[in-house]
Amino acid sequence: MKLSGAKALLMLPALLLLVAVFLYPLLRYGWLSGHASSVLTGLRPVPNGGANWQRLIEDVRFWKDAGQTLRFAFCSVALELAGGLGVALLLHQPLRGRGTLRALTLLPWALPTTVMALGWRWILNDPHGPLNAALRSLGAPSYGFLTTPATTWFFAVLADVWKTMPFVALLLLAGLQSIPADLEETLRLEGASRIQILRRLTLPLLVPYLSLALLFRLAQALGVFDLIQVLTGGGPGGSTESLSLYAYLNAMRFLDFGYAATVMLATFLLLAVLLGVGWLLLRRARIARTTGGPA
Amino acid sequence: MTITAPGLELRQLSRELEGRRLLDGLDLQVAPGECVALLGPSGCGKSTTLRLVAGLDPASEGNVLLDGEDLTLREPGERQVAMVFQSYALYPHLSVQGNLELGLKVRGVPAAERRQRIDAILDLLQLGSLRHRRPAQLSGGQRQRVALARALLRQPRIVLLDEPMSNLDAQLREELRPELRRLLCGGEQPVIYVTHDQQEATGMADRIALLEGGRLQQVGTPRELYENPANRFVASFLGRPAINLLPMAHRRQLGLRPEHLILGEEGPLAARLLRREWWGHQQLLWLESDQGPLRLLTSAAAAMPPQPRLSWQRRHELWFDADSGARLAP
Repeated sequence: MKLSGAKALLMLPALLLLVAVFLYPLLRYGWLSGHASSVLTGLRPVPNGGANWQRLIEDVRFWKDAGQTLRFAFCSVALELAGGLGVALLLHQPLRGRGTLRALTLLPWALPTTVMALGWRWILNDPHGPLNAALRSLGAPSYGFLTTPATTWFFAVLADVWKTMPFVALLLLAGLQSIPADLEETLRLEGASRIQILRRLTLPLLVPYLSLALLFRLAQALGVFDLIQVLTGGGPGGSTESLSLYAYLNAMRFLDFGYAATVMLATFLLLAVLLGVGWLLLRRARIARTTGGPA
Repeated sequence: MTITAPGLELRQLSRELEGRRLLDGLDLQVAPGECVALLGPSGCGKSTTLRLVAGLDPASEGNVLLDGEDLTLREPGERQVAMVFQSYALYPHLSVQGNLELGLKVRGVPAAERRQRIDAILDLLQLGSLRHRRPAQLSGGQRQRVALARALLRQPRIVLLDEPMSNLDAQLREELRPELRRLLCGGEQPVIYVTHDQQEATGMADRIALLEGGRLQQVGTPRELYENPANRFVASFLGRPAINLLPMAHRRQLGLRPEHLILGEEGPLAARLLRREWWGHQQLLWLESDQGPLRLLTSAAAAMPPQPRLSWQRRHELWFDADSGARLAP
């Protein structure tokens, strides 16, 4: 296809937008990561060679956060996919009031993360939160859920799963609805049980939707910021700090813009490589969806 | 209950959904090896009947019996029914072999036997070379054969076909009819064949059950339905071009098939030629008469008389009540 002048002109706004919000910041980070730009330099960028990158490689906190981010993302996304699948299968059943139920399921997803995270902080508050009130009414002492790394991490994952499972469920529900009913009926006529139908038919046909959900959610979870910032602030003791939060702290608290740009860029590269590999792997799993019908 | 003949028997089979009667008291018997076509316009209840026999939908009333055994409350998987869907319903993620194998796997057939049965059926339908293809890589006709192979593979006690050829082009449909008959009919199993195409029904079936509005209109051999229709609906549904219906005295209608009208210089009806459709071996004449427009089918060589008049034989007259459409004695 020849790119005529008119076509190029029509594509220009989209291209400009991409350059403005994606390419320019990326190039700017790249440039900044080769400079020292902090309070020490009077916030003026001074070239410092590869010093920022050298520092990154030796930065224990960066690598610890990278590990924490990966662990958080993989656990949350795995739970979201499993839970989302369950919810989708449930919502796919011919139930009465199914429409209302579907709408209700979406509520947590529709809530802004900050609001949702504040809600969870209140629930987990020691000693005024409802969870501790419940504990006390059972005769147990209050517990500082957000004071130990293990429970804090657990509830951060739980909050993330609670919020984003509806999105996964919705995506998978669309996938379920795309599977023609007569496929399942054919297998039912063969005497297949529900489990067999799920394993042999539904899941294989859901693979494209599962991979889409996986990639979407992984991209979001690996960049998690707002939930962690509001719910835990990265604590206790940095045990829930994510890479995005670390980059933010470098820029906004330590005012070390050169190094913040380096962390940001490194995070971006890490994500890009991870998602790229994931995408390549999942692309192979794509399948034709023809069941018969008109050729 | 009464002693039943071997084969499939539907007794007063009905299905109601949200206050709508989709099928209303269908009585039908299909002998072993017999192929009965369920024929009728869309929404007449033919697919509903098929789903009730398969057990995919529950019957509101009535029974499905096979060799005297009541299947009405059985799960679909326990009925040993094979069904070919209009869409063929091939599993898109599996090869031809995988499509055939899945049902056997589900029923726990050992691998060696699976292999043997699949080989046999692939041979029978000449599908061996397509064994490793996915449905998306097959032509429409090939997909249909795979669906058929999958249905036959399970050695069913009943074979159900839901418009199995409606996705194929006309020529292929015609070619496949004898083969489909050879593979399906005349064996042990009763066969029910759903179609809205009367040519397919007359070509495939031993008997036709014509449905309309959830009710059985008539059941019989294609010839019986054609020559001796129970009512006006049957008379107009079967036969192309459609039967001429002439309004007559005493609220009666005279049905005359286009091929039974004789074009000549004498006869009770005067006519004027409006249009001529040339069909090669025949021609269809669109005529205008005192009794309204008429269709007449005649040989391609027939000449048009200067003052054309129409006649017919008394034995070809079909009389109907103009209001109810019921068949009347001449």
